[in-house]
Amino acid sequence: MASPACWKCLSRPSPLQMTSQIQLRSATAAFSTTTPVFNVVKKKTAAGKLIQSKAGQAKTLRLKKKAPVKMGKPPAPGERKAMRKRVVLSNTNALAVPGMQDLKKDIVGNLGKEFVGRVLGIEGKTVDALRAAEAFKPHQSWCFFRRPGILIREETIVLGEKIIDAEKEGGLKLVLDGDRVTGKSLMLVSALAMAHVRGWIVLNVPEAQELTNAVTDYAAIEGSKLYSQNTYTASWLTAIAKTNAAILDKLKLTQEHPEVPIPLPADITLTRLCELGARDPEISWPILQALWKEMTANGRPPIIMALDGLQYISQDSLYRTPDFKPIHSHDLAIVDHFLAYLSGEKTFPNGGAAIAATSRSHAPTSKSMELAIRKSQERQFGGRVIERDTWGRERYDDIRAIEAFRNDENLRSIEVFAERDPWEKNYDARSDRALAKIETMKLAGLSRIEARGLMEYWAQSGLLRKQVDEKIVTEKWTLAGNGVVGEIERGALHMRI
Amino acid sequence: MPPRLNIAGVGRSIAIRMRPQALVHQSKVIHATSRRCYADDKKPSSGIDPDFVGIGHVSEEAAEISESTGEMAPDMSQGTPVQEILKRDGDMDQAPEVIKKEEASEKSASNNENTTFAHLLAMGQMRNIAAGGHGADEVQLEGLIYELPELPIASDLNLKHRYDPVIEQVTNLIMQHGKKSVAQRNMAYILNHLRTAPPPTPSAARPLLPGASPASELPLDPVAYLTLAIDSVAPLIRIRAQKGAAGGGAALQIPIPLGVRQRRRTAVQWIIDTISKRKARGSGRGLFAQRFAEELVAIVEGRSGAWDRRTLIHKTGTSARANLNFRGFARKF
Repeated sequence: MASPACWKCLSRPSPLQMTSQIQLRSATAAFSTTTPVFNVVKKKTAAGKLIQSKAGQAKTLRLKKKAPVKMGKPPAPGERKAMRKRVVLSNTNALAVPGMQDLKKDIVGNLGKEFVGRVLGIEGKTVDALRAAEAFKPHQSWCFFRRPGILIREETIVLGEKIIDAEKEGGLKLVLDGDRVTGKSLMLVSALAMAHVRGWIVLNVPEAQELTNAVTDYAAIEGSKLYSQNTYTASWLTAIAKTNAAILDKLKLTQEHPEVPIPLPADITLTRLCELGARDPEISWPILQALWKEMTANGRPPIIMALDGLQYISQDSLYRTPDFKPIHSHDLAIVDHFLAYLSGEKTFPNGGAAIAATSRSHAPTSKSMELAIRKSQERQFGGRVIERDTWGRERYDDIRAIEAFRNDENLRSIEVFAERDPWEKNYDARSDRALAKIETMKLAGLSRIEARGLMEYWAQSGLLRKQVDEKIVTEKWTLAGNGVVGEIERGALHMRI
Repeated sequence: MPPRLNIAGVGRSIAIRMRPQALVHQSKVIHATSRRCYADDKKPSSGIDPDFVGIGHVSEEAAEISESTGEMAPDMSQGTPVQEILKRDGDMDQAPEVIKKEEASEKSASNNENTTFAHLLAMGQMRNIAAGGHGADEVQLEGLIYELPELPIASDLNLKHRYDPVIEQVTNLIMQHGKKSVAQRNMAYILNHLRTAPPPTPSAARPLLPGASPASELPLDPVAYLTLAIDSVAPLIRIRAQKGAAGGGAALQIPIPLGVRQRRRTAVQWIIDTISKRKARGSGRGLFAQRFAEELVAIVEGRSGAWDRRTLIHKTGTSARANLNFRGFARKF
């Protein structure tokens, strides 16, 4: 580094000399309008910079943020959700199963024991209707097969008989229960499919939680303590119109509807009525009431109403009153309407069914519902089977075990009836009342014959690349917790291919 | 002048002292165990060159073999019987009559004592045939609680190796933060996507492995589909850059052949690199798997960028094959 001292004369620099040099330099650039200080090109600092923010304050470190790397076009609004909710009902790679029978009107009435373990195809019309009703769900593996089909279980045959019986006045009220992935929602699909091919009107609430977890708007109904969910009702009317277009197109208005705030043209079809309600959410609830009145008029077809996730409507909803008290689920108009038929308070004049399925994977626990289901089982079969597994847990609380119990005098002597737990605070009085008279159907694992039929269907579709014999059926059946159908599927179709 | 003969110096010329060199030599003798290198045997050698030691007699040879194979060794405290020596040399026809008779009786006795499963099965089949049935009929074996498994036992019947080797390796490669069950879920999604996606249309420019089933049949065998995609795009070699070996500080590129698992690993890494740069179109947890599966389809259809990487590596390897003889730097001492 050069010394500030002059090396020729060896004289030390005096402060006077230095100031004179600086003055000289600045004097040479006097004709420029900008000061040389501002003319300096600043170096870009990559890492960070210590900045004196204000006099007397500490220096702060400001880091330059890296701009995020843009990768392609971002998905459009709604695209992500559409992808998540997408239901694919066909796989052109899968082989068509030869000799697969379709579920038809006369088959539903004559489902005998010989049908157990067979997979019946669902007709195209019914598939379209059930798709519009959102009966098929994305996780139900419809996308593997050439076309949708339902397995006929022993319980399906019982359900078919019940549906045939319910075509008279009065109708059916049923709760489907069972462990996780035992096929409750699929049984609901079976019920809807059977009802549709029998010419019933189909109404479906695919997820009860969408009604109660405060994701759709709500409004108090004047002159009532109920709350209507107008947007949901409007979209429900759209689904009803689409699902039942074949039936509703032929039915016309026959009654006066003073509750509907708009003048209804006389002689319109019920499909048109649904469209009127779907177009204007504000009047959707009165229109739905009018539609119901028309659908239950004399000489109209039976109606099936199905709901998945009974626990969600057996407790307080997430909606609030204006004074911020929770609204009970039974105060929501659609839920109230459904429960009136499930509890038996109202009956279907032309026949029909109200079927609810419980949800066992993510739903809240409802003590009242559990108790009501237990009591209903005991009422139906005159006692309860106490059979315990290796870990002391109760087991075989299903139809087959109870049948065995009914035929066995020794077992009948140890019956214990379900009682209300006096220390439990979480019972819900309104749900207790509503579910007091329900009829239940408990689903458990498949029988070996059913499991074999299902696996043969998979093999014929080209998805299970193994020879289906007694050994593999037994293996999968046992590993799936005595034939729990979702677990068989997991073991045979998803994990090991 | 004193005499030049010095009596005191006489003793020096008589060799009665120990030779100092010999002493030094003795002190250099080190115990054999202390000189054992890592690669040597644990037992100290007998000092005899093993190349010059002949094979022992029959029993000793058998004892050595059985020691290495872990079988029952013959009793070495007794001598070697003559029969064994004759048998080894093939001179049994010249043996005395007594020995010949003994040999014949031994043969018949050993047949009765054979109790392997294969033998039991064969005997059972013989019984079936004798009873008028077929050899393939089910054999009744006494003394077994459960029936015999079907032989040979299938490779995926082992609990620890229940999946296809490719599936197992790829699952491990797509695993993050040690979450194997998430990786397995992704793997299931990938296979399901391959099953449900339309059959691929392979391009002539990017030939797949020969001998694969036709493209229309691939979706229903997703494991074969995945294996075909990964094995087709996997490079055969990698390029090692030897620093400074090309002279002037430049790196020398040396092609190194890869094993089958290494090849697959490289291919999967390429796929993961590609899809991590691509944006997801939806939301939810299956999206990584979806992009992975789409990339596999792209590979089979010849659209993937992984093919270019493979071509580049193979081209570099071909041009650098002269460097295959490089054996490392000579040691400088």
